[in-house]
Amino acid sequence: MNMNDRIESLLEKVQKAPRYTGGEMNTQVKGWDEAPLHFVFCFPDTYEVGMSHLGMKILTGLINDQSWSLCERCFMPWVDMMEGMKAQQVPLFSLESRRPLKEFDVIGFTLMYEMSYSNVLAMLEMGGVPLERRDRGESDPIVVAGGGCASNPEPISDFIDAFMIGAGEEVMLELNRVILDRKEQGWTREECLKRLAQVEGVYVPSLYDAEYNEDGTLKSFRPNCPEAPARVMKRYVDNFDQAYFPTRTAVPYTEVVFDRITLEIMRGCTRGCRFCQAGMLYRPVRERSLETLVRQAEALVESTGYEEISLSSLSSGDYSCLPELIRELMRRMKDKRVSISLPSLRIDSVLKESLEETQQVKKSSLTFAPEAGTQRLRDVINKGVTEEDLIEKARDAFEGGWSSIKLYFMDGLPTETTEDLDGIADLAQKVVGEYFKVPKATRAKGLRVTVSCSTFVPKPHTPFQWAAQDTIPVINEKQEHLREVLKIKGVNFNWHAPHLSYLEACFSRGDRRIGRVLKRAYERGCILDGWSDQFKFDEWMAAFADCGLDPAFYANRVRAKDELFPWDFLDCGVTKAYLWREKEKSDRAEITRDCRQGCNGCGIQRFPGLCAYADPKRNQAPSPSLLPYEPAEKPEEDQAEGRNA
Amino acid sequence: MRMLGVFEKGERIRHIGHLDIQRAVQRGLRRSGLPVAYSNGFNPHILVAFASALSTGACGLREIMDVTMAREVTETEFLTCMNRAMPPELRLQEARRVEDRHPALTASLKAAMYELRFRDAEQAEKLIAAIPVLMKRETVPAVRKTKSGLKECDIKPWIYALRGEGSVVYATMALTEREACKPPMLLEALRREAGIPEEEEVRLLVVRTSLLGENDAGVFIPLEKL
Ligand code: SF4
Repeated sequence: MNMNDRIESLLEKVQKAPRYTGGEMNTQVKGWDEAPLHFVFCFPDTYEVGMSHLGMKILTGLINDQSWSLCERCFMPWVDMMEGMKAQQVPLFSLESRRPLKEFDVIGFTLMYEMSYSNVLAMLEMGGVPLERRDRGESDPIVVAGGGCASNPEPISDFIDAFMIGAGEEVMLELNRVILDRKEQGWTREECLKRLAQVEGVYVPSLYDAEYNEDGTLKSFRPNCPEAPARVMKRYVDNFDQAYFPTRTAVPYTEVVFDRITLEIMRGCTRGCRFCQAGMLYRPVRERSLETLVRQAEALVESTGYEEISLSSLSSGDYSCLPELIRELMRRMKDKRVSISLPSLRIDSVLKESLEETQQVKKSSLTFAPEAGTQRLRDVINKGVTEEDLIEKARDAFEGGWSSIKLYFMDGLPTETTEDLDGIADLAQKVVGEYFKVPKATRAKGLRVTVSCSTFVPKPHTPFQWAAQDTIPVINEKQEHLREVLKIKGVNFNWHAPHLSYLEACFSRGDRRIGRVLKRAYERGCILDGWSDQFKFDEWMAAFADCGLDPAFYANRVRAKDELFPWDFLDCGVTKAYLWREKEKSDRAEITRDCRQGCNGCGIQRFPGLCAYADPKRNQAPSPSLLPYEPAEKPEEDQAEGRNA
Repeated sequence: MRMLGVFEKGERIRHIGHLDIQRAVQRGLRRSGLPVAYSNGFNPHILVAFASALSTGACGLREIMDVTMAREVTETEFLTCMNRAMPPELRLQEARRVEDRHPALTASLKAAMYELRFRDAEQAEKLIAAIPVLMKRETVPAVRKTKSGLKECDIKPWIYALRGEGSVVYATMALTEREACKPPMLLEALRREAGIPEEEEVRLLVVRTSLLGENDAGVFIPLEKL
């Protein structure tokens, strides 16, 4: 049997074959010979997860829009397919042209969460690419990676040739250009990597050396050649409003996690929650204008046929003209029967009216994230939500006909005590109380308050990067306590065993050495760790032991103020000095104001013009649009596509 | 008015199930910009029906969708707009405008034509050799999946035509709500006759080539022409 036959025969046997067959609307890619540079975008999780990811849509669209490059897709196969592929000697292939990964010039991974790292290894190996970068030869692809986890690339740096730090839409094409130049100029792999290191926002791990102190902490980290910069600067999107945004995105046949249009209305967040890595990394806050968003929404509705649009950002409620945006979208989408799903935190009175009018909102459950149970602890983490706020919103919701509310919390936050845990139960009880205050005749039936608790993971580039995670036994005890106090009628309690969070803590603040553990765990059969039925905690622990490394060193250790961190060589905008100041304020349970009330000097102000709130001349919200908005005519459609001609 | 659209379910997407195909067609209709009619109610959906569900794993050359339009549209307009809006694996070949009172497709559907394309020439030869034997039998027992579970049945009267050529078996078989012989049932019977042991895998591609209705003279003709 030839390769295609073998693949076809596997597809007849696996569950969910459409994960591997492609051919979805808007995924037509040019022929292999039509573009000189061949890129395969790899998502280290299943199709259903990957196809829900906005970043993937942006980057595949961007690369395919260039005349000189094509981009195909590849996802982590499920266990049944993987076993079949091994048995039939079928290498991991791209969905579009069914070529093995090793035939591409560039393999690009997006790193969304640490617990997908073992999948990266599995995909490389199945794709016929030498696992470790040092074993790759002249004819092997260049393996690159980006995404949120690239903000501490070290744990996976043995397996990646180059990382993109910051906004992928900015650095992607420059990186591809260099690799295309290599193809044309015949540069060696090493030469190519050295040139890549000179692209701003690119980190090439082979050009840096790490030394360690006797206690295991990092002693020094520096470049080993003149081409590599000592500090790698993160890339920012120059003009977020006008940044590339694909207007024809893939429409999967089968249901995926987010099966709808996602409009990114805003990047960044001004609130400064101290546990939130995204809030620190995606600074400064930038809004997309109403005009741009409406144009994108219309183009996407037309090209995808989706029946739902959701607004995405870290804190959509903060978008400065949210009611106007929603009203405008609803007005334009009414005839097309497209519904708009709302950020649940801002069901204010203005919106309520137009919602009731149009009946376009399904009364599914509302979500609130107080994160911590007491005001003291919320001050520690700088979560600017008060109890009155929350109770008022709950009352509004119950009065508005909702009966189901989700409350998100974290356990194991720094300085957490039993009192804080009891506070969670107290809040849940009060929310339940609000429901019963609404007259029986007017409230919706079937009260359901769901309390979800996840285990806190200290992340790099946050004020808690010095903090220890609670040990597993301590977390277990706390969860046990929560189970007791949350035995409240009408309240459901969801929690997760802390083991995955523990590993996440090891890898999020890991160093280069922990890459050995990753490889060892993979050899021991760890893959698809994010799927609870596949997660093999004991094998991970055994892998740590095999490598002579202690997971507690990474997860449960309080770091000293002046410790050199493996990610310190990256300039992600927010400075270490600022983070330490925030950490000290957190120790005193002192809050930091929202950037909209004034700049807090996080470090972004070093780059003139980047942050609108830091500019003393513009001490005002960046006005995204002049209202009311009535475009003279239909916006030009191919503006986005024409950008890269 | 309604529009009958004859479309193909391509080989590449043959593992997509019927519900997903339905959704893909709905979205295609939305993209097409055609004046389709919507149902009333809280969650309005496009009024589109399908002549018959095609099983996961099979492809179809002439499947039929039945779309209720909100306004008058010509057949050419419908075809052009749809083919701009559909992925290549779901091409439309023909459109036919019918009146609202035109009978529902599911009600007029009588039979379907299939090709069973075998991957292995030797197996195909054995299976094709078994056709005459099978056709001489009085009854051919089979098991049929129904809503209320598995049911034993006799498929012999439901096989209207059966022949083989090369490595392909061509079959015309009953396909109504109450009487239906699906390709796996036929394959089972053929395997039995050919003496292919149960553990031996038979790989094939099932292609439904046409959906048939019956005209006034009692002759099968393509359903969309009825
Ligand atoms: S520069 Fe100032 S205003 Fe801008 S994000 Fe940083 S702290 Fe906030």
